[in-house]
Amino acid sequence: MGICRQTTKRRQVNRVMAKSLFIVVVGCGRLGSLLANGLSGQGHSVVVIDRRAEAFDDLSAEFSGFKVVGDAVESETLRKARAADADCLIAAAEEDNVNLMVAQVAKDVFQVKWVIARVAEPARELAYRQLNIETVSPTSLAGDYVLRSLAQDK
Amino acid sequence: MKDQKILVVDDEKNIRLSLSQALAPLGWPVETAVNGEEALGKLDDQSILLIILDLRMPGMDGIEVLRRVSELRPDIRVIIVTAYGTVERAVEAMKLGAVDLIQKPFSPEQIRDLTQQVLARDQLNEDKAADYQTHLELAKKAVGERNFKGALSHAQKAIALDPYRAEAFNLVGCLHEVLHQREDAIKNYRMAYEADPSYAPARENLDRLTSHGGRGPISWESAGKQRKDDK
Repeated sequence: MGICRQTTKRRQVNRVMAKSLFIVVVGCGRLGSLLANGLSGQGHSVVVIDRRAEAFDDLSAEFSGFKVVGDAVESETLRKARAADADCLIAAAEEDNVNLMVAQVAKDVFQVKWVIARVAEPARELAYRQLNIETVSPTSLAGDYVLRSLAQDK
Repeated sequence: MKDQKILVVDDEKNIRLSLSQALAPLGWPVETAVNGEEALGKLDDQSILLIILDLRMPGMDGIEVLRRVSELRPDIRVIIVTAYGTVERAVEAMKLGAVDLIQKPFSPEQIRDLTQQVLARDQLNEDKAADYQTHLELAKKAVGERNFKGALSHAQKAIALDPYRAEAFNLVGCLHEVLHQREDAIKNYRMAYEADPSYAPARENLDRLTSHGGRGPISWESAGKQRKDDK
């Protein structure tokens, strides 16, 4: 039957593309747009969310993902971005509290397996970890880098 | 590379890129058009097999493009791209032979699956149809040929094979709407809802027809809402 052949072929094609992930990026600021551009360039399927449509101007001409205008704190916005189907969600909004809330909703309500949140204030990282949310703190990263460079120069 | 082509029509560059990249592994060459006018200019190209068309575009809108395609090249299959939650004017699209909708954002896998599903329909053999999915596909193929009575007959055969699934009931409901049989449409949406309350298109259609004076948008399944066990 036609359908059986089609299913086999479909599986073969999808296996070739198996490494491409479906990633939702919340916030299209400096970090969000950098990640969205980079991930899209690597062949991943990206949905980027921002409250302001102008924020998408920072996306490169090669960006091949989707843009959703809305407040990610509202679960309807995450639903629009199809968060439930995401392999990974990156909360990269400006405010730590927004990122914490979005990350929690993504993990608990939309059951996203891999959630990463950007934290500006390193002191908050522990709280995130207790909630089982992976974090990245640009402040800690920059601080560590400088300290390490200075230590090497001694 | 295959001889025939897929034409992607969308005003947004990122969606054109996304679709072109997603379809590349299937092997059909992909052409793009930034608006309806450009798309219609490419219809003379006999090698176009399928059009993936955004319904909402500045200038000539998607439905108008679809109308012209259905007049000039009724042989071309069309997949409609809609924004999330706006399955507006789907009954008009169905009247013009377009039954396949995909909502943004979609994954590359979903658009590839839908494309293959649509293109595989032409090879289906009516005489050998024996299962639910094949009858459903034959019903959609008949819609593509504007044979709505034939579509109804296949969808009803699918229901007879498995009355506990919602999709065929929902399609029958949509077809009754196309044929201006509102009461029958409501009855079938209700059956779809009872068969599977989690099947969102039936719930949305029922809500629409039984409230707001029955003038809201129609909801038909999109690849984003396909049952996982169908894969």
